[in-house]
Amino acid sequence: MLLEVSGLDVRYGRNHAVKSMDLTIGEGEVVTVLGANGAGKSSLLKAIQGTVKPSGGRVRLGGRDVTGWSAPRRVRDGLVLVPEGRQIFVSLTVHENLQMGAYSRREPVEAEISDIYERFPNLAQRRDMPASVLSGGEQQMLAIGRALLAKPKLMMLDEPSLGLSPILVQQLFQLIDQLNRDGLAILLVEQNTFMALQSAHRAYVLELGETVLQGTPEQLAEEEKKLEAAYLGAS
Amino acid sequence: MEVLLQQIVNGLMLGGVYVMVAVAFTLVIGMLNFLNFTIPALFMVGAVMIWAVMQKGFGPGVDTFLNDTVGAQNKWIVGVVVALVVVSLLSLVIERFTYRYMKAKYGDATEHALPLVSSLGFLIIFEHFVIGRWGSDPLTMDSPFGNASFYVGTVQFSTPQTISLALSLAIVFSISLMLKKTKLGRALRSIAERPDTATLMGVDVNRIVPLVYVIAGLLCGIAGVLFAINYTTLDAYIGDKVATIAIAGMVLGGLGNVWGAVVGGLFVGLLEVLSIHWLGASIVKVPIWGMLLLILIIKPTGLFGHSAIGKGKF
Repeated sequence: MLLEVSGLDVRYGRNHAVKSMDLTIGEGEVVTVLGANGAGKSSLLKAIQGTVKPSGGRVRLGGRDVTGWSAPRRVRDGLVLVPEGRQIFVSLTVHENLQMGAYSRREPVEAEISDIYERFPNLAQRRDMPASVLSGGEQQMLAIGRALLAKPKLMMLDEPSLGLSPILVQQLFQLIDQLNRDGLAILLVEQNTFMALQSAHRAYVLELGETVLQGTPEQLAEEEKKLEAAYLGAS
Repeated sequence: MEVLLQQIVNGLMLGGVYVMVAVAFTLVIGMLNFLNFTIPALFMVGAVMIWAVMQKGFGPGVDTFLNDTVGAQNKWIVGVVVALVVVSLLSLVIERFTYRYMKAKYGDATEHALPLVSSLGFLIIFEHFVIGRWGSDPLTMDSPFGNASFYVGTVQFSTPQTISLALSLAIVFSISLMLKKTKLGRALRSIAERPDTATLMGVDVNRIVPLVYVIAGLLCGIAGVLFAINYTTLDAYIGDKVATIAIAGMVLGGLGNVWGAVVGGLFVGLLEVLSIHWLGASIVKVPIWGMLLLILIIKPTGLFGHSAIGKGKF
């Protein structure tokens, strides 16, 4: 298993955001975590990345227990999060944002940055401009390009389709499929259930911090009504 | 005309001291979003340390030892080293208690009221340590370089002052280059804008923030040392006096803007000297703080700043 989460608990004061969550991701797998606002999806990602301390449970990466590791150390070990809202550095240039993505690596990355520019020609055109000039879709490309430069084994994306037009959402999921075909494992948190289930090999559905449903998209389709109820927040 | 030219030169020389303190303030504001009151404390500590080494402040035993080992004419080098080592160590201690502890306890690095107040605590404690040890009377020091000077036309340039000004500009230029061109500089700018996202890139914020404190501390320490060498009279409150003027310079330049702090620092130096020349020494704070208030009302972003309060402005 590439990632193994067992019995994970996240609490903010009295708010029990993630309740005894189990989740696994194998090599080359795309796994999606679905759920309504406040279901605990982002808290789960933050606890896996290490920016939020879980109050219980274990996180294993490539068989090693990383529960006590800092977030930067997990990045060095191939675990990378593309945060909700892209969070690109608008006071840095496009190129500097990409360089920041490779911060944890010592070897030269200029060739890989060129690959990113080839993949996203829009970014190449704006290479030396402040990243604030990018459109929403371009910002998402930059955020993903930046994450790729960390050379991840597992890329986690938090609501990447949020705020994008339907065409851009299509392109985004094509990109996710493409990255996966190149061997990258992906953990995708989405509210766009339809698109996420098309790309994912397996899915988990969260409701108020608990897994209420899991399985392959086909298995989930059979329980579509249940899924709909969870997504709409009804029970 | 010649008198005025001389005053302008003197003002720019004094401005060189304010430049470094203003840059220290602006770095900490730009990166960590709080007004760090330990900056005046470290300026004062830097000045007092070189004074103490030069003027038997650590007792006749230490002084005799220094005279025997490095020689009386080289004592100032020891003073510089002692000052810089002490301010660096103090910077690390201060980081623990103003920034890291607050972040660990309250989880939010942008909560700037708490570090502000705790840094004020450090300022007062350091000042009273110095008063307790060396008293509150002015401490005077013999300049290790005497009155070395040269003339351009009829205008006199003090040699150590000229070197100090060049040094302070060179240091600020290096910092600005480091911020712009290096991997560390990019990391610092990314922390200034989004510390949490910088962490996701693998930047260990807890390792880099102490470095910011040490850089700011060294700027103040060097400024304090240069002040002591050039102006030879200081006391426990010298940090307050210099830093309040440097803050005015920083606000003029624009919060968080390094080159703004340079222009602002030089300008307040000039303003101070010319005010003394035209209006007299007793009223000198009025034009400087009047200018500050005017800037805050008319253009709170200063000359080169992007926003009055906020982050990510290098």
